[in-house]
Amino acid sequence: MSRLSTPPSSTLVNRSKPLVFEYNGRRIDACEGDTVASALMASGVDILSRSFKYHRPRGHLCGEGHCPNCMMNVDGSPNVRICSEKVCNGMVVKHQNAIPSPEFDLLAITQKFDFLMPAGFYYKIFHKPRFMWPVFEHFIRKVAGLGVVDGKTPPYRYERQHLRADVVVVGGGPSGLSAALGAAEAGASVTLVEQDSFLGGHFRFQNPESSGFKKVLELEKQVRAKSNIRVLTGAVAFGLYEGNMLGVVQGRRTVRIRAKRVVVASGILERPFVFGNNDLPGIMLGRAVQRLLNLYGVQPGKRAVVVGSNDRALDVAADLLHAGVEVAAYADQRERINDSLESVKLLKSKGVALLPATTAVSADGKMHIRSVTLGPVAGRGENIRLDCDLLVLSVGGDPAIHLVQQGGARGFFEEHRVEFIAKRLGEGHFVAGDSNGVHHEDSILLDGRRAGLAAAQGLGSVDHAAEIADLESRLSANPAVVLNPKTMVAPDGSGKRFVCVCEDVTEKDVCDAIREGFDGIETLKRYSTVSMGPCQGKMCQMSAIGICARETNRTIEETGSTVSRPPFIPITLGALTGRNYHPHKTVPTHSRHAALNAKVISLGDWLRPEMYSNPAEESRAVHERVGLIDVSTLGRIDLRGTDVVKLLDKVYINSWGNLKVGRTRYGVMCDDTGIVFDDGTCARLGDQHYFMTTTTSGVDGVYQWLTSWMAGTSLDVCVTNVTSGYGGVNIAGPRAKEVLGKLTSLNLDSKEFPYMGCVQGQVAGVPCILFRIGFVGELGYEVHFPSFYGEYMWDVIMDAGKEFDIRPFGVETQRILRLQKSHIIIGQDTDAITNPLEANLAWAVKFDKPDFIGRRAIFEAKKQGIKKSLVGFVTRHGEVPEEGTQVMENGYSVGRVTSARFSPHLNKSIGLAWVPTARAKDGQPILIRSKGEWVIADVVTHPFYDPEGARMKG
Amino acid sequence: MLNFLSNDKKMWRRHTLKSSYEVVIVGAGIHGLATAYYLAKNHGITDVALFDKGYLGAGASGRNTAIIRANYRTAEGVPFYEESLKLYEDLARDLDYNIMFSQRGHLTLAHTDRGVTGLRERAEMNQILGINSSMIKPERVKQLVPTICLDSNPHYPVMAALWHPPGGVIRHDAVVWGYARGCDQMGVQIHPFTEVKAINTRDGAVQSVTTNRGEVKAKFVVNCTAGHASTIAQMVNVDLPITTHPLQACVTEPLKPFLDPVIVSSTLHIYVSQSDRGELVIGQEIDPFSSYSFRSTLPFLEGAAMHLLDLFPCLSEVRFLRQWAGICDMTPDYSPIMGFVEGVDGFILDVGWGTYGFKAGPVSGKRIAELIATRKTPNLIRPFRLSRFYENDLVGEKAAASVSH
Ligand SMILES: Cc1cc2nc3c(=O)[nH]c(=O)nc-3n(C[C@H](O)[C@H](O)[C@H](O)COP(=O)(O)OP(=O)(O)OC[C@H]3O[C@@H](n4cnc5c(N)ncnc54)[C@H](O)[C@@H]3O)c2cc1C
Ligand code: FES
Repeated sequence: MSRLSTPPSSTLVNRSKPLVFEYNGRRIDACEGDTVASALMASGVDILSRSFKYHRPRGHLCGEGHCPNCMMNVDGSPNVRICSEKVCNGMVVKHQNAIPSPEFDLLAITQKFDFLMPAGFYYKIFHKPRFMWPVFEHFIRKVAGLGVVDGKTPPYRYERQHLRADVVVVGGGPSGLSAALGAAEAGASVTLVEQDSFLGGHFRFQNPESSGFKKVLELEKQVRAKSNIRVLTGAVAFGLYEGNMLGVVQGRRTVRIRAKRVVVASGILERPFVFGNNDLPGIMLGRAVQRLLNLYGVQPGKRAVVVGSNDRALDVAADLLHAGVEVAAYADQRERINDSLESVKLLKSKGVALLPATTAVSADGKMHIRSVTLGPVAGRGENIRLDCDLLVLSVGGDPAIHLVQQGGARGFFEEHRVEFIAKRLGEGHFVAGDSNGVHHEDSILLDGRRAGLAAAQGLGSVDHAAEIADLESRLSANPAVVLNPKTMVAPDGSGKRFVCVCEDVTEKDVCDAIREGFDGIETLKRYSTVSMGPCQGKMCQMSAIGICARETNRTIEETGSTVSRPPFIPITLGALTGRNYHPHKTVPTHSRHAALNAKVISLGDWLRPEMYSNPAEESRAVHERVGLIDVSTLGRIDLRGTDVVKLLDKVYINSWGNLKVGRTRYGVMCDDTGIVFDDGTCARLGDQHYFMTTTTSGVDGVYQWLTSWMAGTSLDVCVTNVTSGYGGVNIAGPRAKEVLGKLTSLNLDSKEFPYMGCVQGQVAGVPCILFRIGFVGELGYEVHFPSFYGEYMWDVIMDAGKEFDIRPFGVETQRILRLQKSHIIIGQDTDAITNPLEANLAWAVKFDKPDFIGRRAIFEAKKQGIKKSLVGFVTRHGEVPEEGTQVMENGYSVGRVTSARFSPHLNKSIGLAWVPTARAKDGQPILIRSKGEWVIADVVTHPFYDPEGARMKG
Repeated sequence: MLNFLSNDKKMWRRHTLKSSYEVVIVGAGIHGLATAYYLAKNHGITDVALFDKGYLGAGASGRNTAIIRANYRTAEGVPFYEESLKLYEDLARDLDYNIMFSQRGHLTLAHTDRGVTGLRERAEMNQILGINSSMIKPERVKQLVPTICLDSNPHYPVMAALWHPPGGVIRHDAVVWGYARGCDQMGVQIHPFTEVKAINTRDGAVQSVTTNRGEVKAKFVVNCTAGHASTIAQMVNVDLPITTHPLQACVTEPLKPFLDPVIVSSTLHIYVSQSDRGELVIGQEIDPFSSYSFRSTLPFLEGAAMHLLDLFPCLSEVRFLRQWAGICDMTPDYSPIMGFVEGVDGFILDVGWGTYGFKAGPVSGKRIAELIATRKTPNLIRPFRLSRFYENDLVGEKAAASVSH
């Protein structure tokens, strides 16, 4: 292996721009445009990896980024297919899965024990005796797996992009280029997605003198000139998802493309062939060889044998001759080789032996192929053995219909062409060219144009039906070209006959599995692991199906194929994620808390002050004087319209018909199974204007809930989530009225603005919405203001409160204060099966209104009677049991503690717990198991603090 | 000598349909197979046919992420799943098939105060019931999983975890095949590609089953069709409180072992384990909409990547290899529905397996077999009876926020 002395004109490599990189500590010279693989090959490195199970040497095989043979660690990234990875200066490349190197691998010893490892062997041993399994498992795990995770975070930056297009064409080969042009000429905006770094597909890496090569250069020119075609190269469409959304990966970026129509023109996936030692380095697929020669100017061997099954194979042989490689023989699986072809004439003129009806039977060599044995396809007759260092397989391939299959299409087996063709395509999906089973050189272009025009039909104003019909008739006039041989398996030959190179599964393994009863393609795959490897069956699925059909005396169609699952190629977590942002939401008063040195904690997405001094001091301020807490994180939903009451009556268990303007009410929402899921207040600001607050974490869910219950009804309600438009504070404590009074001309007299009242008006010149409510159990005003006034509002209130020694208080104090009042927190004191009757919310359930969500379930629950209840408790000896500990009776758990705190004001440890309803009576003792100790507590069924609520109403 | 490694004996044979069976089981996933297995093994009832419309394991039993654990939340759930775990521990020997039960531990992370409370609740309940399960601190998490990053997501740092050493993962296909072979050896008939189209009753009792291959008589019909349970129950006019949702999963390319325990984070919506092959197996919550669709979605794949990177930023260059979807029958309380159905004699439910039914296969099979053989509902599964939904007696496995695999 070396560089060609004169590179072909089609080369991508710029020999005047040298680069260097490191491979296993060795310096490798490369040139701009080289892939890591082409540079390694040019430097004589031919063993690229060791196989998964037997650690057999493996070399360059498919050259198109699918097979597992060239996976290496590149700059810290595991499992990079180096045949598709461009060289960058200074790259560090390392081998994988071999100790110490692919050339000499100690683990190759496993080959000697292959008789111990038939298909599924691990299901039959290692489990006896039972205690040995973990020991065996430890070892099995060590030898499995390819890439290494070292715990270091790779330094790369990832991105995500969102695009739209009328038509996306997947594949920039001849049919894809024609399709893109067709669609673009029909007026569509087109995005062309091509896996390679260049356009032109397999025509582009044919000999530069070939007609195909010239055609795609011309097509590329036209495509590039079109302003309505966006070209993405080095980009792989990995998934076709619901709603014609294409997932595309381009290096470290994911592109999501929403398309109206999708044309899949992704060509064929060339297949290897099953014969003895078919995995030796030096055995390559035809397209890999053409790429090396015509794109990278690298000579893959000195003396080659080519085995083909179609005219494309002849072109490969001719290309080898052009590049100065000796071709020892050309074997073709077909009965007849067409003498009139230019390539055949060339082969003949160079004296290459042409062997029809001949195939490879086995290969020989230890670390590299040394010779190949050819024999008749039919299996009977003479074999011949030829020395060579390169065996080229050009025996057809499978239409790449994975994407349309993901989109709902089914693959139907075409007996005559020996390939699966996609039919029953999903809406807006089209297939063209090689991937559509159209392999004739001219037809590929016609079929591409047909698909492009068809895809654009109806998007623009011009109708192209006539041209499409014309193209179709021209297509049917062209001869059908068959690429694939009838069988994928050689008649008998010695050596391991690999079906699946990824998983080291041989023909014998597949047959064994079938004999054991795994004779359907799905079970066969799972048991033998054929097609479960890094290429996901791209290289082996057809041979496996063929063998399965043969062994079970079924046709291929009867045997069927497995379902193609996304992604089409393996794709990095980084690219899928893009930049992993974790933005915080800060409250509008945030800077003030920071200035006060508050302890700020992360609650959900929000940063909130947990504490400014300590709960004892903060709660004393609230009880005795006045305190201020930010409540900006509350959810807020604005509701307007003539039917708001109807909507509220539906989503809340409470009744809303009698709520007067200027009043607010506590409300509870249940789902349709009667489970409590959110609570908050809802105020009537105007005749047809309501303002709802929800829990901090619940607002998005509640908003969705409201809109989804509105959908399909003719309710006249306008629902707006205004959470981030407002900030809010709660001024609480006996002096709260005086503080607020200094800032507003609103009449705060309890007659005018009573408990559970609401008003709109100015506070310190800012338009606000005010509620008089008492979550923390004292006289309190919740003031909501436009969020950009946050700092101003905080400052003026703190200023006005100075004379009353106002104190800010944090979330922790609020938790204690609310617990003193036995106010529950949904999701903490309730769980996913709590109904309102159990949670002391029976008073809120209004069975006498027409209907509400959850009514039926709550009604049934009421009929059955309540078995457990949420109650308060006080521990006898002041312990604070941990939240989540269990309430015990006779050794069984009968309930659990949901909230518990020490209340400095009451000087008691209090909490809420679930207990059997029979115990839900004042003074009942309960036993709590906390940290392995027993805590005795007494049940309290009313608020611990100010049970009559005189203080907040006062 | 090593003949047992490769033999010609079929795992299960093909049969023509008989005209009648004592027990017909609809669905040959793990639940159907285990039921048949224990019917034959524990009770000598072998006149049993298993019908599946697809290949063996075509349903959720071939699509799940195979997490096994017993650290449930309720006094009803814990002993039930614990019995299953114990059966699993002995199953390889019992079936003489290596089902690769890998008890490398199960770790549930908490990232919020409320999350910590939820885990403590389970730890306490587990300890009371004798389950090896306890709360551990972040430092210990780091010891168990050195590659984890405890605070790469600043909103949701790891605050504590629930550590359950007996938990782990299993080779789910092997369990299916092992049970199938066991059933076959004892004379149970397995009929793949046989779809049940109707269940015929007379005078409130099951009479026969109509399939695409003909009609067969049956004394008992067991509904073991996770994902389609409500459609089968409809055949005898039984309404089930079930909604069906897709659940997706994906795997990465195989990597050298670096992750021993199963890791679950409900706050980050992710769970992950590393299989013996080296692949990371990843799942999230059910899709938020109900559907019978098996189509994978891109948001799932993106979410899985993003959330996994929250815990393991070092994995950004690791690649996803394959994604897929299955469907799950969800009940309101995240507990199954098992037992006889009033009004339809001979019709038995073993359904509502949601996202957590694989681990329950052995115990369900054993106890449903007992129920058929004795005509009595075993105490262990009584809490899961259908009528609990009408008796306000739910089994609260669905905590406020839980990933329930
Ligand atoms: C992605 C995913 C991940 C999961 N992860 C876990 C996990 O980690 N741990 C866990 O414990 N559980 C998990 N589960 C849940 C678990 O897989 C299921 O609960 C369990 O496999 C159910 O087993 P089954 O035998 O009841 O049903 P299935 O295995 O679904 O079998 C039901 C069978 O019924 C057949 N059937 C349906 N209709 C008919 C008909 N009319 N006639 C004949 N046959 C019919 C189907 O073909 C199918 O084979 C997961 C599920 C999914 C989808
Ligand atoms: S060759 Fe790649 S999976 Fe079989």
